[in-house]
Amino acid sequence: MPSTTSLAIEATDLRKTYGSETALDGVSLSIPTGTVYGFLGPNGAGKSTTMRILTGLSKPTSGTVRVAGTAVENRRAFVPHIGYLPETPPVYDEFSAREQLEYSADLRDIPRDVATDRIEQYLADFDLTDDADKRIRTYSKGMRQKTAFIQSVLHDPDVVFLDEPTSGLDPRAARSIRESITDLAANGTTVFLSTHILPVVEAVADEVGVLFDGHLVAEGTPDELKTRAQTDAGGSLEDAFLAVTSGPDVAGGLEESGTGGSSEPSESSEPSEATAPASTTGDDA
Amino acid sequence: MSDQSRSLLRHDVRHGTRIARAEFVRSVREYLQDNRRIIGFLVAFLFLGGNLLFMLPTVYFAGRTAQSASTVPFFGPAASLVPVVLVLFAALRTVERISGVEAEALMLTSVHPRAVVVGLLGAELARLALWFGLPVALVAGVFAVGLGAPTLLVTGVLVLLPLACCAAIWGYALGLGVLRLLRRLPRVRRVAQVGGILLFLVVLIGSQLVGQYLALADVSLESLLSVLTLGPVVEYVSLAFVGTPLARPVDATGFVVLLGLVALTPVGLVLAERQATTLWFTDDVVTRERSRSSPDTPRETTHFAPPKPFAWTQAGGVAWGILVRAVRKPQELVHLITIVFFAGPFVGTFTQAGPGSETSVILLAGLGVVLGAYLSGAAFGLNPLGDDRPQFPLLLLTETSPKTYVYGRIVAGLTVGLPVATLVPLVALTLRGLPQVAVAFTLAGVVACLAAALFAPGLGCLYPIYDAREIWGTESVSPSMLVMMAFTFVVIGGSSLGLVATWFLLFGGVGMSATVAVALGCYLLLTGGLPLLSSWYALRRYRRFVFE
Repeated sequence: MPSTTSLAIEATDLRKTYGSETALDGVSLSIPTGTVYGFLGPNGAGKSTTMRILTGLSKPTSGTVRVAGTAVENRRAFVPHIGYLPETPPVYDEFSAREQLEYSADLRDIPRDVATDRIEQYLADFDLTDDADKRIRTYSKGMRQKTAFIQSVLHDPDVVFLDEPTSGLDPRAARSIRESITDLAANGTTVFLSTHILPVVEAVADEVGVLFDGHLVAEGTPDELKTRAQTDAGGSLEDAFLAVTSGPDVAGGLEESGTGGSSEPSESSEPSEATAPASTTGDDA
Repeated sequence: MSDQSRSLLRHDVRHGTRIARAEFVRSVREYLQDNRRIIGFLVAFLFLGGNLLFMLPTVYFAGRTAQSASTVPFFGPAASLVPVVLVLFAALRTVERISGVEAEALMLTSVHPRAVVVGLLGAELARLALWFGLPVALVAGVFAVGLGAPTLLVTGVLVLLPLACCAAIWGYALGLGVLRLLRRLPRVRRVAQVGGILLFLVVLIGSQLVGQYLALADVSLESLLSVLTLGPVVEYVSLAFVGTPLARPVDATGFVVLLGLVALTPVGLVLAERQATTLWFTDDVVTRERSRSSPDTPRETTHFAPPKPFAWTQAGGVAWGILVRAVRKPQELVHLITIVFFAGPFVGTFTQAGPGSETSVILLAGLGVVLGAYLSGAAFGLNPLGDDRPQFPLLLLTETSPKTYVYGRIVAGLTVGLPVATLVPLVALTLRGLPQVAVAFTLAGVVACLAAALFAPGLGCLYPIYDAREIWGTESVSPSMLVMMAFTFVVIGGSSLGLVATWFLLFGGVGMSATVAVALGCYLLLTGGLPLLSSWYALRRYRRFVFE
């Protein structure tokens, strides 16, 4: 049951270091309930680290995280609120999709009859009914991904974290997942979506955050980011993404043009409209 | 414990039981997932089961003749060692296999870590019961029938269960503690990876030597083992004999130990949960630092440039690539450890003969030949399809013939094995003043290495293993145990036979009679024919390889 808390994800000044290396530096997020938040960034920017911290799977070196009003450290209270689909689908080759989902439902304490109905419905929605009793070992990548996606939302969590959910999927499967993301948000679930596929973000995201070299360098609606890019390189989200992740020169240029981004984003204390946290766009998003 | 704590514990145990059931079902399905694996299990079952069946009459008569627990041979030390062995075994299994759960992200975002710990331990106990439960129950059952006290089975389970649970949990906590320590001390981890294998070798060879020493020297085994006997533990294990003719007066210390086990089990669970939580939710700094490259760090440019003579042929280049990878990741060769089981007795014999004697030098030379032959095939040849499979989309779509890759493996194996098989006998026997024997053994070593190197790839292609398994903390695609056993049997047997024949024909005064000539002809035919046939088969499998 989606939470009624106004902010689904609150992360304050997250910092994560590995020995002498800094993976995240001063990342703060305020994401309202029901938002689809597109989380972008080049390889190695720190997206997966952020996801692991937000899901409680890794501890930040400093900073705090609350999801659906619950601190991630309070693991027992925290886990019922979230669903997580990592980049590699966490499914077992030796199970069938139905067994996998029933197993997951058991661990989530979903009553048997409710679980059965939901599983049947999701299997039908994702065109998996005919293959539901075959071992996952025999599945294609798309089928595995769809099974893992169902697993992550089966318990109707408040916040769903999706790491590259449509990567490598055929158009039909990708569309199923895109539509499901939209449906989830319509029902009040917050979706934190990390992906490299920018058209997906454009299609479903209400807010976008761009992570670069461990810093949140831009934040805003897709239109705001696109507007920023028009002044420099072009007008698409891809142009905006490339602009804010192309290193100091370009980012500096954007800063000068007053459209956000920074070569030293952690020092930006006065974000422009496009770099403002998602919460500034209104709680009724 | 408050009501809420009890409720949470019940909740976690219920989840843990569900996880244990799922993990156990997955293991069973994995065991039975293909026919070749089932055949392998059947062969092992027939071999080990046959031995067990032959042992049962002895067990039965031991039961019939046993008068008291103290007359059971080594009962005291064995009973004392049971908890220690169980804890160490659990710790070893934890370090090796069950320190984490597959689909970790799912598990840790679904249930409490305590449930995962309970689940992993439950599954492991179930797997142990599957593998060892039946034979142990059979032996105990036959002993109980011989004793005329079937209740021994019930009391035995009642005594063993608390002990096994406590040992499993504390062993698990110990294993996780070791992993945490290794994570905190990266240098120790690197040393431990190599040192652990060396320690294993020392223990194995040492056990052979100790066994032989105890068998031959004039020492009282009883007096040695009495040092290891822990009275309270023996009293506890003796509770299993309550209600049987072997029962002895019940001592309160046995019950104290029982209470101790019951009390220590939840304490161990709390400790294991804390260890697991810290391990699972803390990042591995070493892996992370290795995976990230700092732009400020200058990089050394490295090229793939095989030295001569590897550079002369394409197969040589392939062999060089295999050798470079082996040096950079020596854990991939962990399967070679099985040779120690076979080499151990030789080491014992070598020390008995006296390190400087002529017999021991000849034995050493022979061991060098056999070991070199073994390495020539086993190092890189016993799972060629499994090793190369991830690269096949590249390898098979180049203009290079598939036979080059097979030959590359053969050359790489010879590079490792040939020096051992030739230098050990040559140096050892020459220094001992036996130059003719040195030349003969060296030539025999060359032949044995060639035969083993050619034989291995075909045998490995018969039963390729594609799935990586984590062994000694390293993901590796190791050859099938069946293939390893077959290869070891053929190569060690064949090369030893060849050496014995060489010795007797050249230096033992055995004349070349018709019988000897026929036997020698058969041996040479097999030594030449089988490897050629095997390598032909490997080439065929490479040429016809398709992804299924």
